[in-house]
Amino acid sequence: MASKNTIMEKSIETIWKEGFIKNDALVAPKLNDLYNQKSIDIIEKFKRMYKINRIAIVAFAILIIPLSYITRMIYMGIPMAILFIAISLVAHKFSKQLDTINKNTSSYEYLSSFDTWVKDMIAINSKLSTFMYPYVFLALVLGFWFIDIEGDILGNMLINGIISEFPTTYLVNGFPILLLVPFFLAIGVLAFFGGKIGKWDINLVYGGILNKLENLLSDMEELRK
Amino acid sequence: MSNDFYTTQILPYAAIIIKICRAYTDTQEDFEDYYQEVCLQIWRSKDNFKEQSAWSTWIYRLSLNVCLTFLKKKKNNKQNAPSDLLPDEVLVDSRAFADESLNQLYDAIRQLSEIDRGVILLYLEEKSYQEIADIIGTNTNNIGVRITRIKERLKKILSN
Repeated sequence: MASKNTIMEKSIETIWKEGFIKNDALVAPKLNDLYNQKSIDIIEKFKRMYKINRIAIVAFAILIIPLSYITRMIYMGIPMAILFIAISLVAHKFSKQLDTINKNTSSYEYLSSFDTWVKDMIAINSKLSTFMYPYVFLALVLGFWFIDIEGDILGNMLINGIISEFPTTYLVNGFPILLLVPFFLAIGVLAFFGGKIGKWDINLVYGGILNKLENLLSDMEELRK
Repeated sequence: MSNDFYTTQILPYAAIIIKICRAYTDTQEDFEDYYQEVCLQIWRSKDNFKEQSAWSTWIYRLSLNVCLTFLKKKKNNKQNAPSDLLPDEVLVDSRAFADESLNQLYDAIRQLSEIDRGVILLYLEEKSYQEIADIIGTNTNNIGVRITRIKERLKKILSN
């Protein structure tokens, strides 16, 4: 071991130069297994996030009933709980599929299978979102509609208010057209954009990791050329 | 990354990458991760190289940037610490060079702030003040003063 005195006698420039001339430490590590490690990291991270997401959905499904009871919006709570249970069942099915991806393949094949799974999951979610967002809107409307205010429900108060304000308004099965038009318009817009909102939603949660997956796959594809 | 690119464009400059990565890591495992990431970034960014600087300068810049980014991510995972502060703990290097003086110098360098580590490494690699300023992204005026300060600090650490 070099003594302190020896070190102090030499300038740091000399230590640097002589050190690298003498030793054989500048051996580059092998670039093996890099993609393997990265593939496993990405997929494991995604699995963890997906699991947390599923647990959160189940927790919401359980909590929303008592919460909606407390906030006197039980007509919103029940359909929302049904929706969350349905979503968690779909997610559980996808999770089972994810576990079946064969790990005993090359990194490229492993990542490609995972990519196919992600694309299937996004496609199904987008389709479901077409129905899901109008359904959520409907549940919210029901929740607010049946809020009890001093013995009367908010929906009735709203209808009475519209009729007294616009006495000539056209009624369909007792509902003012002024209320039905925006309602169905909102349902239509949500159904039309549901798929896009669903994709945006997935991107918000998993966007970062899915970009990494895409970059890694394109790197590997270039390698295979 | 093709073997050809690695062999012809990176391997001849591997010493640069190794020297820099050693200054920013404390274990062999981390060192290999950093080294691989630097190589990957060089390969990914190769089309952005405009030949305005030497290929070796480009490698210095990328190596430092990757190491600083990795270190920042690592720090952020532990706590939200600013990047240019002194490390909270002195890193103990589990690896060793054949030259003990060099080991001690590396230990001392690792006690510097992240940017100071980059500056002194470039200085020791005999880069001009202008090149150091270009690589670090600062102006030349500060470099001389900063190097003097860093050298004094290194001497102090080594003498302790």
